[in-house]
Amino acid sequence: MFEAKLANSGLLKKIVESIKDLVTDAPFDCSETAMSLQAMDSSHVALVSLKLEVGLFDTYRCDRTINLGLSLANMSKALKCANNDDTCMLKYEENEGDSIIFTFADPKRDKTQDVTVKMMDIDSEHLGIPEQDYAVVCEMPAAEFQKTCKDLATFSDSLNITATKAGIVFTGRGDIGSSVVTYSPSSNTDDESEAVTLEVKEPVNVNFSIKYMNQFTKATALSDRVRLSLCNDVPVVVEYPIEENGFLRFYLAPKIDDEENME
Amino acid sequence: MGIKGLSQVIADHAPSAIKVQEIKAFFGRKVAIDASMCLYQFLIAIRQDGSQMQSEDGETTSHLMGMFYRTIRMIDNGIKPVYVFDGKPPDMKSGELEKRTERRAEAEKALTEAKEKGDAKEAEKFERRLVKVTKQQNEEVKQLLGLMGIPVVEAPCEAEAQCANLVKAGKVYGTATEDMDALTFGSCVLLRHLLAPEAKKIPIKEFHLARVLEEMQLTEEQFIDLCILLGCDYCGTIRGIGPKKAVELIKQHKNIETVLENIDQTKYPPPADWPYKRARELFHAPEVMRGDEVELTWKEPDVEGIVKFMCGEKNFSEDRIRSAMARMQKSRNAGTQGRIDSFFTVSSQVKCVTVAKRKAQEEAEKMKKGGKKSGPPKKKAK
Repeated sequence: MFEAKLANSGLLKKIVESIKDLVTDAPFDCSETAMSLQAMDSSHVALVSLKLEVGLFDTYRCDRTINLGLSLANMSKALKCANNDDTCMLKYEENEGDSIIFTFADPKRDKTQDVTVKMMDIDSEHLGIPEQDYAVVCEMPAAEFQKTCKDLATFSDSLNITATKAGIVFTGRGDIGSSVVTYSPSSNTDDESEAVTLEVKEPVNVNFSIKYMNQFTKATALSDRVRLSLCNDVPVVVEYPIEENGFLRFYLAPKIDDEENME
Repeated sequence: MGIKGLSQVIADHAPSAIKVQEIKAFFGRKVAIDASMCLYQFLIAIRQDGSQMQSEDGETTSHLMGMFYRTIRMIDNGIKPVYVFDGKPPDMKSGELEKRTERRAEAEKALTEAKEKGDAKEAEKFERRLVKVTKQQNEEVKQLLGLMGIPVVEAPCEAEAQCANLVKAGKVYGTATEDMDALTFGSCVLLRHLLAPEAKKIPIKEFHLARVLEEMQLTEEQFIDLCILLGCDYCGTIRGIGPKKAVELIKQHKNIETVLENIDQTKYPPPADWPYKRARELFHAPEVMRGDEVELTWKEPDVEGIVKFMCGEKNFSEDRIRSAMARMQKSRNAGTQGRIDSFFTVSSQVKCVTVAKRKAQEEAEKMKKGGKKSGPPKKKAK
């Protein structure tokens, strides 16, 4: 059996809301140490990787590793029933059919609500993500990154990122004009959560679809900070840490300008 | 054509090897297309008022129309096509080709009869059966593809075999054809209906060889033998052995030699001098150009050249051709979106099976076993 309790339903709500437009059905891998999920979007451009370690939960019990196939749209419906402060218990019993039970409890009112969600048959591929030494790692306030992506999207459907030791530049260039956002690594900010930090081993210049970036930034609600890890010609990682005990990562394949075989 | 009943066998025994996809799921993929087969389809399917499209001089243009628009549709969806043309047919196909000539002769007779009777519907049916791709049509299509900047590969022998080899060499993602024998030739991925007309909204069926083998618990050699038993273009089959029995026999006996030793040959007579060994050899090591030596380049299309050819010589509407070309240019210049699964490789399959599904599978399993009991092939009395 599997049983896990979160102190706040809000956390799971935010997670589901930020990935449900990207991924329709996904397998939740539950093991002794963590609950995790990996899924590609339907067109195989982006990959979502979620990890919720045991430390995030108030109680956690998982007798053996299981994959729970769930529709994110249905999960979202279930979670809409909960208030953000309600505790959230997830329960799955092998002998009790094909459902997961979400129990939302409001301790102040002594109220509990059980929502049962049918599981799905899923047959998907798990991708092995190789260790990558990224040339550029940039951390900034999540809200700042969200605004930048939104601003550039009005001009272009393609986002160019260049980074050198001097700073990181986000460019959107389109038919009506362009928008260029430059961050120089800030050293004088007192407030650590507002700082933009940049580690550059080698300069990069990469292009991505802005549509996907905008979808990723729905996870802004999860975390104050976002970390971008970049390298030329490999997928970017956009990571939102979840408290100290987990993360939501998005991998996005770059756009390739001139391919070897194109003349 | 192809392997008789193979797609049904796969659907019955290895359902997870078939994925149904929309065309846009294939963006960024390079695909090898069996050109001869799709030309033939264009000639049959693209018609107006029951007859083929023609230029002012009365020359057929259905093949050019099909090739032009369907290719642009693929490029619109981010697919990079490579067309592979048949070379000379293998010697072993002569039997099959003779049969086809016979059938043509029959159709011709039926056509004259229908015409005499004035039965237009029947006449059209037989006319379609008589369709044959001419050498000139092949050349015209190659010329058009050249102008469009699409790579063309001339196979030394069978196009499907060449396509399969390009897939194996990692030059392309899969083979697009309706003939299932591309799988027998070892194409890891086979796409059906990729060139189906847009209006029909037929989804693409993707067959994965590795999963077929895994689910049916067959090796590639055993799979080839199974295909020969089912019926291929190169030799006959054992009379009385249908798809169901063929699967059972191969699973039990592993190869045709042992199958022959164990069946009652008076009840199931194999063809005289059955050349199954040569057919096997042909599937295993067909005459192909080595895939890793083939260079594929997608060049800038020659718009003026296409307009001159299609509108000047073949009477296509210039406006339409130009607007289609503009669309193609736009998709080409958009910069290709990479695929995440080309950076990260599949490490494992994740399966979430609900109890309901598992029960259904167990039921199906039982049914299969029950079926087996009712009619096992009789062993030869020793």
